[in-house]
Amino acid sequence: MSEIIEKRIGHYETLLREMWTASSKYLGTFSMNLLVERVVWEVSLEYKEIELLQYDQNGISCAKMAARLEENPDLPVEDMFMKFITRYVEILARLLGHERAEEIRKRLDEEFAGDLSASRGE
Amino acid sequence: MERLITGIKNLDYILGGGIPAYSLNIISGSPGSGKTIFVQNIIFNNARNGLKSLYLTTISESQLKMVRHLQGFEFFSNDLLGDRVIYGDLGAVLRSQGASEGLDYLTRMIKEHLPNIVVIDSVKVIRDLFPDEKTFRAFVFELAAVLSIWEITAFLVGEYEEQELTRLSEFAIADGIFHLYGQEEKRFQKRYMRVLKMRGTSFQHGEHLFQIGPVGIEVYPRMRPEGEELRYDVKLGRKEFGICGLDEMLCGGLLEGTITLISGATGTGKTMFALKFLLEGAEKGEKGVFLSFEEPVDQLQNTARCLGWEIDKYLAEGQLEIKFISPVELDVDKHAFEILDMIGEKKVERFVIDSISSFESSVTDIQKYRDYLWAIGQQLRRRHVTTIFTVLNEDLFSPLVVSRAQLSLITDNIIILRYVEDNSSIRKVLGILKTRGSNHDNSLREYEISPEGINVLGRLAKADMLK
Repeated sequence: MSEIIEKRIGHYETLLREMWTASSKYLGTFSMNLLVERVVWEVSLEYKEIELLQYDQNGISCAKMAARLEENPDLPVEDMFMKFITRYVEILARLLGHERAEEIRKRLDEEFAGDLSASRGE
Repeated sequence: MERLITGIKNLDYILGGGIPAYSLNIISGSPGSGKTIFVQNIIFNNARNGLKSLYLTTISESQLKMVRHLQGFEFFSNDLLGDRVIYGDLGAVLRSQGASEGLDYLTRMIKEHLPNIVVIDSVKVIRDLFPDEKTFRAFVFELAAVLSIWEITAFLVGEYEEQELTRLSEFAIADGIFHLYGQEEKRFQKRYMRVLKMRGTSFQHGEHLFQIGPVGIEVYPRMRPEGEELRYDVKLGRKEFGICGLDEMLCGGLLEGTITLISGATGTGKTMFALKFLLEGAEKGEKGVFLSFEEPVDQLQNTARCLGWEIDKYLAEGQLEIKFISPVELDVDKHAFEILDMIGEKKVERFVIDSISSFESSVTDIQKYRDYLWAIGQQLRRRHVTTIFTVLNEDLFSPLVVSRAQLSLITDNIIILRYVEDNSSIRKVLGILKTRGSNHDNSLREYEISPEGINVLGRLAKADMLK
């Protein structure tokens, strides 16, 4: 796998894992799985490739996604991932209340300054 | 907290604004307790507000049969079927393919329709498809998780008896539990509901009456006598009867916002005293309501006219309102709530219940009767409504018994009307037993009811006539 692709995907994989860790303490891993499943389904209506995201009780992985990116470097992964994260946080806000969701969003913002703000159009 | 508004009369009030969104609720009760209508009423009300519901049946009752039964209710709308209210058969999938496929079917239906509400009717049938409690519990847990992740408010309907509510696993997982049941009370077949659990919100505990009528479900919240501290402003204004001698005895009339019991034997004129009190208020521009369980409006009008009172004028102007409710149709749970609603709406200052003895005959036990009156009295005091309850004293000549149910404890003032014997004739006397927060005349005075109205005469000379 090329270093560039690894870097592009690695960035989002870290973001998703951070998100997983931050929210699983509220939802539990079982519900986390269900939530990711829901968001994957919703985003897949626009980007089918999101179905390459792997997740189970142990966490989340973008290995298959990276492999696909090797084959098709034009894949709009940035937009796809940001849609995924935005949708995820939106649902979380409704399920847990805005206060909890804001905590998670803040934590992600600190780790990945810029990405989330850009996705929210700020 | 986001809530699902049920739209059922008074139910959202009991729930502090509605059912918490994305919660899983069990609707339990015996067959015929009204579970299905309860849920259907909620989903059709929400369909009108643009929300979508998925109704999954697990029993053999066909959709056609269910729809046919629902058509008689006002909440039902044919136009919403298939678009906002979607029916599906979960039972067939579960029976032929098992629980795991059942959840997949549910998820597929959710993805296809994106509902806001999911109903499973009945979950008890699903329980029977599982070999043991453990696997069923796992299924319900997974079901609850799926529904909440999809931001769905769920209702699981089941034919559960009350003793099952504490031991079955689905009740531990549920966020909300509504138990519906019916019971025979005197001449009424009554329906009640209790909210046994509602996570994340406060709600009104206890037994709430509900009715199933042409509009659907209507809930009448329980009157709450206990647990609430009685706080109300004491007003020092007086409300007169307009009966000269009596107002003197009361040092100017009844204290505003108090409850007065007029106790007397049949024919002593309790109704007339109470009606005069409202007419006096009407003359001063105060709105009065007379709730009669004994005499129809025409009869009261005739009697008042015979006494020279301008009842027709005040009825026409709306200063006075008389409502007659046949005691045969009286349902305390329902009427107590309606009384308070009416008083609030119409800004009533003077209020009469004639007589509360009729209340007593429709309530199963004397304690419940006292609780109701206590609760109503408390609410009326808070609203500063000066109230008279009349009560029948079955003992014609004894002054010592105010009422059989010891109602004197719930009232501020007590006026007794009674007969005495005098030289082979029967005369009427009145006395004031108590006035809370005020002095009163302790004498017993004779009175007469004549075409000139009610006249309070002098003191009764021979007190030893009292038995």
